[in-house]
Amino acid sequence: MQKKSSSFFRNHRASFILLVAVVLLPFIVGLFEGASPAAVWANQGGISKFAEGLGIEIFILALYALSYDLIFGVTGLLSFGHAMFFAVGAYLTGIALKTFALPLSAVIGLVFLASIVQALLFGLVLPRVKGITFALVTLGMASVFHIIIMSSELGSYTGADVGLQGVIVPSFINPANERLRFYFVALVVLVLIYLLYQRFVNSPTGRVCVAIRENEGRAKMLGYNTFAFKLAALMLSSFTAASAGILHALYQPIVSPNVADLSFTVTALLIVLIGGVGTLSGALIGAAIYRLLDFGLRRYIGENASFITGAIYVAFVLFIPYGIVGTWRAKSFRIAEGWRRLLAAFKT
Amino acid sequence: MSSDIIIETINLSKHFGALVAVDDVSLKVRRNSLHAIIGPNGAGKTTFFNLLSGNLEPTGGKVIFKGSDLTGQPVHRMIHHGIGRSFQITNIFPNLTVFENIRLASQALEKYNFKFWMNASRLERCERRTWEVIEKVGLKERAQALARTLPHGDQRKLELGMILAPDPEVLLLDEPTAGMAAEQVPELLALIQEIQKTGNKTVILVEHNMNVVMSVSDIITVMHLGKVLAEGTPAEIAANKEVQTAYLGGLYELNV
Amino acid sequence: MSTFFRKNLLPLATLIVIIIFFLAAAQGMNSQDFVITLLRGLSVGAVTFLVASGFSLIFGLLDVLNLAHGTLFMIGAYIGWTVFVRPDTFVDLLTPLALALSGFTLRDVYPLLSDRIRLSLSMKRILPWALILVSALLFILVLPRYPIAGWNLDNYAQSPVTYSYMADQGTRLPPPTVAFDQISPALAIGGLLLVSLLGSFGLSLFDQSARRSPQLTWRSYASFVILLFIGLITFIFNDALTNFLLGLNANWLFFIAVIVATLSGAGLGALMEMTLIRPLYSRPIYQLMLTIGLSAIGVQIVQAVWGRPEFIMPKPTLFNGSGASCPATNFSSWWQGNCSTILLLGGRVRVYNEILIPIIGVLVLIAVWILLQRTRLGMIIRAGVQDREMVEALGINVRRAFTIVFALGVGLATLGGALAAPSMGLSNAMGESLLLDALIALAIGGLTSYPGAALGSLLVGLIQQFMIQYGQIGISIPFTSLVLKPTPPIVPASTVLLMVIILLILPNGLLGKKE
Ligand SMILES: Nc1ncnc2c1ncn2[C@@H]1O[C@H](COP(=O)(O)OP(=O)(O)OP(=O)(O)O)[C@@H](O)[C@H]1O
Ligand SMILES: [Mg+2]
Repeated sequence: MQKKSSSFFRNHRASFILLVAVVLLPFIVGLFEGASPAAVWANQGGISKFAEGLGIEIFILALYALSYDLIFGVTGLLSFGHAMFFAVGAYLTGIALKTFALPLSAVIGLVFLASIVQALLFGLVLPRVKGITFALVTLGMASVFHIIIMSSELGSYTGADVGLQGVIVPSFINPANERLRFYFVALVVLVLIYLLYQRFVNSPTGRVCVAIRENEGRAKMLGYNTFAFKLAALMLSSFTAASAGILHALYQPIVSPNVADLSFTVTALLIVLIGGVGTLSGALIGAAIYRLLDFGLRRYIGENASFITGAIYVAFVLFIPYGIVGTWRAKSFRIAEGWRRLLAAFKT
Repeated sequence: MSSDIIIETINLSKHFGALVAVDDVSLKVRRNSLHAIIGPNGAGKTTFFNLLSGNLEPTGGKVIFKGSDLTGQPVHRMIHHGIGRSFQITNIFPNLTVFENIRLASQALEKYNFKFWMNASRLERCERRTWEVIEKVGLKERAQALARTLPHGDQRKLELGMILAPDPEVLLLDEPTAGMAAEQVPELLALIQEIQKTGNKTVILVEHNMNVVMSVSDIITVMHLGKVLAEGTPAEIAANKEVQTAYLGGLYELNV
Repeated sequence: MSTFFRKNLLPLATLIVIIIFFLAAAQGMNSQDFVITLLRGLSVGAVTFLVASGFSLIFGLLDVLNLAHGTLFMIGAYIGWTVFVRPDTFVDLLTPLALALSGFTLRDVYPLLSDRIRLSLSMKRILPWALILVSALLFILVLPRYPIAGWNLDNYAQSPVTYSYMADQGTRLPPPTVAFDQISPALAIGGLLLVSLLGSFGLSLFDQSARRSPQLTWRSYASFVILLFIGLITFIFNDALTNFLLGLNANWLFFIAVIVATLSGAGLGALMEMTLIRPLYSRPIYQLMLTIGLSAIGVQIVQAVWGRPEFIMPKPTLFNGSGASCPATNFSSWWQGNCSTILLLGGRVRVYNEILIPIIGVLVLIAVWILLQRTRLGMIIRAGVQDREMVEALGINVRRAFTIVFALGVGLATLGGALAAPSMGLSNAMGESLLLDALIALAIGGLTSYPGAALGSLLVGLIQQFMIQYGQIGISIPFTSLVLKPTPPIVPASTVLLMVIILLILPNGLLGKKE
């Protein structure tokens, strides 16, 4: 037993170091600005609080991207409506807390139910449409949802196009004065769900999901009711994304309709592509890179940031062909080959 | 003796628009026999298989398996009834390892498909079965290779392994040797014959290599233009004038 | 057939209810509203079709979902605007463009040259980078000194908005004279040429596996010489050409602008396919990332060059009149007054937006249809859409067909952009919404079907415009006295809903091929 666990630690040394680093991050940042760990603990440091905020955003984004990687990267379902999963969690939390003043546990239960319902909704169309058509249908459903929350008829609940303002966050987790606690809560949720996902892809169920991605017809012929597996993946994914939505609504305390937009789905797609499709850990790394890039570029370059972001995506596609984790595993960073690819044009 | 018949089709037909690919085929397959189906290209053999395995819905007719009607059953139920099928065009998981390909095949009938908290590599029964099958089809050395990197012959063996793994009663083999090097063919057919004999299985085999078909099969059905042209033991078929003139004469040299 | 109905009972019923509502609502419209809405729908449909058809051709043959298509549409609009409103800028750009491209046509020559150079291994590694660096530095040094008349985003009097307004009033400015800035013209031209030569040579050195062309024929140099010639001619006759364009009738200038936009779109498309898309055929999902990235880049470039504020593009004079005889009551009086509007069945119809654009849409529809049906290229495309492997196996040079189709698709989008600019106006966001509309149209009509693209676009255009109209007059629900007024968000929702329902009934769209 002893031996086994030590080899477990050795195999995942990098992950553990990273985890410890993330746990210590607020305190280390605090030291740089001259705030003692105790002060950081009491949520007094300015910059460390800011870093915590950035960290929380990354965790939320990572959770969301993770859920997309499960259906897209692992199961092979291309959905353009994923943002809806997130938005349902966020809006439901916001409305339940603000308008109905429900306790947080009830909110979580409610979101859990809603996430199952929307997975079933996607599941409803699953047997009928495949591939890009599935993507378009999910896009359609998410757009309808987007339009509903934007509509002025529901404005008193959703805030229409301005978004849901002033979510009343329970004080024990209020990110304004209990940010460090929020940071750790978000981190714990992320780590737990990440471990669950790791287990899932290596479980009998997850292996079948991979098989479905590779060759659905064959998986059926082997005797798997592929619909049930896809639905299972959708449910887990939907719940995860909705959890990210809860955290988002609590942290921001504003929910903007942008989170139901196609571009937010595209964000998930980009993060997964940056990190490496179907790798899970890629979603975490991708989320960190995406958010930090966005933050850094906006801060230091300003208006023209999206030019650089676009150029970085293009460079990514050419030089890091399978995302960071995917390419790392394949040990094939293609700097020279990237150029050569570009130049293939000159060979007719 | 009806209990002797394991699979029976009654007036099975399939139309693709105006084309009648399978035309009113009534066929009886005896338990524990090796039943070959032959016929020229486009005769409708693969389509007939697709109807048996549920990949296509018949335009008319029925498929009876052990006395119960299987027509219109979803594809994924077939293996649960005990019918396994291999494909003429290699149909595997190209980006998974050989081991994982076969492991997936043997996992299908287990009860833990939805236990998502378990580690798949700890399922010992499944694991054992997988190694058994890999050894049987002779892919032990390549077990950890990605399926798409295998040479074609090995991919055909893998395809066979994937149908053996769940240990079905009836094996539908659609040209298992298609595209294999000639010297590998007898070996594979010997394996099929062995499996059929020792495991008390029923094999329905589509095959183009006449010499082999004649030597291994118990009974042969000849299809032509979607219809059954003749049926009988290898000797009967070889002697059948109609078969010879209509089909075999120009295409194959018979030396039985 | 009956099983089909049984299986799709729910979506079919919904569809029928929607259609009934839609038609019932149309009952409540008076004829002039009806005509106007119909024509507006046709107009939107035509523009959507130009984007959708190109998108669908590309997706059908190449399996590439070009998410940059909307941005390319927008770029087409801005290029068209530039040629139409600021022909002097356009002429000034020709020389540097021709020179910059010229070096890249010498790809057959470079391998020979690199064979001649004997260098140590490490030098060989450094050389391409060094060349590219020098080329880039030279570029940064020379280009700002090269005179290109333009606009000034920071100065309202010289901003695109102002130029647009003045062109609309018929006053075209004499071009502000710009001169070479501390550099002699010969040096500037030579510098640009050197930039191109060094850069392309440097890039070609990365490619160790380059095909050695055994013989150099005149062909290896031909395009280089031609481009060089064009560059020089446009430089020498710069003023003459500018004055010619400025003196031209605005209708002809508009025509030229549309052609230039289309051709530059085609060129851009070919370039995109050859350099960026081609390496990705084996990794389809990364095409999405690439095209998203390109789209972001495109929008940023447009913002940097033409600025963020929206502005309008004047209509050609043929459609811009507003004299005493306007609005015209029939076509001959329109022809005399060049009125911008005409009265049809009592409705006041904008001639450019609601008559010309649909007509051009139909003409393009027919032209591409003939291309697809009657030419060898069209045959390859149609066969390739059906079964790409088969066509490849036949030994047809599918690669060339890919490039041509990509160029064609992007060309159609930029054509649409240039045409739509006077009716839609120019904004940084115009591409995005149109791409979404085009996607919906294609999903409705059938993703890879050319007639499907037309039908879907038509439906999307009509439904959108009718919904907008209903928003004003309200839909009276049959058998009740209720009146439903669709609020603005319902307009996009209506087409999206239609798409979802149709896809659920027919996963391949109305005219898509069945699996
Ligand atoms: N999905 C389909 N749609 C339309 N026609 C089909 C389809 N599948 C098969 N066919 C046609 O049905 C006929 C029978 O084909 P099938 O594949 O069953 O023949 P086969 O006997 O297996 O031939 P082979 O020996 O070449 O494998 C052929 O003419 C074929 O073109
Ligand atoms: Mg066959």
